[in-house]
Amino acid sequence: MVVGEVAVETDVLIMGGGPGGYAAAIRLGQLGKTVVLVEKDRLGGVCLNRGCIPSKALIHTADQFRKLGDLGEMGIKLPQERITMDLNVWQDWKGGVISQLTQGIAHLCKENGVTVVQGQATFLSDGRIGVETAGDFETYKFEHAIIATGSRPFIPSFIEVDGEFILDSTASLQLQGVPASLSIIGGGYIGIELGMAFAKLGTKVTIIEMADRILPQIAENLVKEVIHNAKKLGMNLITSARVEKAMVVDGQVHLHIHSEKLGTEVIVSEKSLVTIGRIPNTEEIGLNRAGVMIGEKGHITVDMECRTNVPHIFAIGDITPGPALAHRASKQGVVAAEVICGLPSAHDSAYVPYVIFSEPQIAGVGITREEAERQGYSVKTGKFPFSANGRALATNEMRGFAEVIVDEKSHILLGMHMVGPDASNLIGEGVLALELAARVEDIALSIHPHPTLSEGWMEAAEAALGHAIHIVNN
Amino acid sequence: MIEFKLPDVGEGMHEGEIIQWLIKEGDAVKQDQPIVEVQTDKVNAELTAPITGVVKNILFSAGDTVEVGTTIFTIQEENEVSLKDVDRNESGGRQEQPGYEETNRVTSHGQLDAGRVLATPFVRQMAREMKIDLHQVKGTGPAGRIIESDLQQFVEISSFLQEHPDHNNDTILPEREPKKKAKQSKSAEAEPEERILLKGIRKKIAEHMVKSVSSIPHVTHVDELEMNALKELKDQLKVYSEDKEIKLTFLPFFVKAIVIALKEFQTLNASIDDKSNEIILKHYYHIGIATNTNEGLIVPVIKHADQKTIFQLADEIRQLATQAREGKLSLEQITGSTFTISNVGPIGGMHATPIINYPEAAILSLHKMEPRMVVRDLEGVIRLMMNMSLSFDHRLIDGVTAVQFTNRIKELLENPIRLVVEMR
Repeated sequence: MVVGEVAVETDVLIMGGGPGGYAAAIRLGQLGKTVVLVEKDRLGGVCLNRGCIPSKALIHTADQFRKLGDLGEMGIKLPQERITMDLNVWQDWKGGVISQLTQGIAHLCKENGVTVVQGQATFLSDGRIGVETAGDFETYKFEHAIIATGSRPFIPSFIEVDGEFILDSTASLQLQGVPASLSIIGGGYIGIELGMAFAKLGTKVTIIEMADRILPQIAENLVKEVIHNAKKLGMNLITSARVEKAMVVDGQVHLHIHSEKLGTEVIVSEKSLVTIGRIPNTEEIGLNRAGVMIGEKGHITVDMECRTNVPHIFAIGDITPGPALAHRASKQGVVAAEVICGLPSAHDSAYVPYVIFSEPQIAGVGITREEAERQGYSVKTGKFPFSANGRALATNEMRGFAEVIVDEKSHILLGMHMVGPDASNLIGEGVLALELAARVEDIALSIHPHPTLSEGWMEAAEAALGHAIHIVNN
Repeated sequence: MIEFKLPDVGEGMHEGEIIQWLIKEGDAVKQDQPIVEVQTDKVNAELTAPITGVVKNILFSAGDTVEVGTTIFTIQEENEVSLKDVDRNESGGRQEQPGYEETNRVTSHGQLDAGRVLATPFVRQMAREMKIDLHQVKGTGPAGRIIESDLQQFVEISSFLQEHPDHNNDTILPEREPKKKAKQSKSAEAEPEERILLKGIRKKIAEHMVKSVSSIPHVTHVDELEMNALKELKDQLKVYSEDKEIKLTFLPFFVKAIVIALKEFQTLNASIDDKSNEIILKHYYHIGIATNTNEGLIVPVIKHADQKTIFQLADEIRQLATQAREGKLSLEQITGSTFTISNVGPIGGMHATPIINYPEAAILSLHKMEPRMVVRDLEGVIRLMMNMSLSFDHRLIDGVTAVQFTNRIKELLENPIRLVVEMR
């Protein structure tokens, strides 16, 4: 720091340009504030560059690759040669997708008067921030700050991610070739999504999960179909097992795992991927100098207005307690921006949908049947299998179901969950229904277009009322 | 087993007092059968059984104050199997459940997750803009959902209460009645005003008030009382009153003190017969207790109050209040008073100009009791203070007499030992 430096003054300083940070910046710009957005790497954060978007690009590619094999039964004749996957070419295509998105964000920031600074930001006090750029250090004075520094993969101390043999999720999306075998430590949603994608591309995938089943955070009835499909894809699911050691021997990864059932075993694979969880990036940004408190797990506690214990400093996204999901971060970003501008905004909804791009997809919003019963509701449910849906059959994707959870007394919807084709898109209806405090009749009585997968919701709602058309009502 | 939680039966109430249980543990009840009577600061409500079944546990006693959302009793479904069958049949067609929404509306706040407010994102946003806590708003939409017009109504009621802090209980009723109607009629939500025929008890009250004010020259005199000693006595008597299962309030002591004072200042227990132009001095002491009910202001009468003990008075006041709220008072029970007390204390307010219950000569309003700084022996001390407003007929009573009368009441209540000595 230079003595007598001149600090740049701004209304709001945002640390982190991910989906939370850039949404906040654009909204603040719309509301007429001067905004400095500091991003140490690339705009778009994990979501665009290393998470949601590249992983969905890989999953889509793997889906297409896999589906080629199913075309024969529909009468499409493919050349006899074995189809192959060139991940190198894929990387270019993926780069193009990401680049288009990040350029779009940069453009929106510019149009809304947001100054984007590339560098590493740290708090100097509760009103100043220092930004280390290439060989330079600048200070900024702010009225309000929004911390949106996100999270990174958690890697246990006994595993060393080298990016070549032992990978984190970021490195796995930068592979130049399809590995022959891949062992994945952690059967949560990232492990399952990437594992299934690689399995479709022909990789022999092994998943090692500590809990007694994969996707332990998701209700068991929703996961069954995914387990079934994983096995069909030739994936080896090892549950109730713990990885004790990971080492690279002769260009192969050796994972020493232990489980009560199997004892100690060594899994050998070409690559290994660690997806155990994520930890918030709350160290090394000088939070103590700003007086911002963090909790035991490193998260910053905020109120419904996304305000930290320091009233003019806000925190949004993965660094706040709650699911590490981009859409939650974006919502919080907009809320923080509006609160700073004196608008009566709040992140006051419990309805944060979740989406898992497994095969088939799982998506949901609200609570499950078990949770509802635990909370003391008398519950009614309605379930409709895609095997009874015309569109699902016509597109050869009939696995899964739509399920509605209903309060028996008021008929208000408590949760909507789906396993099946395109569940990720279809859950939008569930979010809207729950936010509008809809009754199950509201779904059942709305005309859903035919033939579509969305009819699944209507039939599940009708099933809850005991009069679904396309299944036998119990 | 269903836990019945105290619902918000008023407009945004926080708590309510259990007035009385209409059933006891183990009773078999039918759906919609009255179970308990609850009083809030604005309304009295009879809460009904959510299902047909057996009342298992009653968790509060009459007289207890309970917060909204607290479980007050549990009820076991009569026959689980048969109920499920019924439900299956009913759910065959949505139109077969016409009463469903209404019964549910009463209990939905309590039954649903306490953290969830049934309102759309837009309404929640509106509420933030209007600085309204949605937990205090009663929803009139489907299944108790809070809709935009509910917010508007909430604001109207709040501002009315703010503008009329000293309103008498009955003054809000003309406002409330049309609002209730407005809720029932969907098209009325858009109407800026509504006309309702002045009829029934409300009309009688209106006529009575006009007659009283136009024929009696009202003058109001205000004094304050120090309540510490009386409170101490009342607290000491609590053990005995509980033994007798009587809820002891201050009111019986007031009745007693007033009766003693009335015997000494006879013109206050009198009336003027306009036709014969005579003063009627009454040697019987029938004290009217102005009571707010859903129908309006009713004045049940304690006959021969001078001949009753404090506990007898307490018991009778409670019984009369209950009957008043249930609309079960006989004509005899609401006529013949010689002096009236209007106890507005529970509602609040400093002073009032109570209107005399025609043809009586005076009415005494009791106001909110509260700790206030007062001067005793040239030192500022905090005492439990209460104001009282006496409106009197200036034709019969001179200002001096009125002041002497309240002085006497003050003397008896501030030194309850004297009250005890002088009681008959």
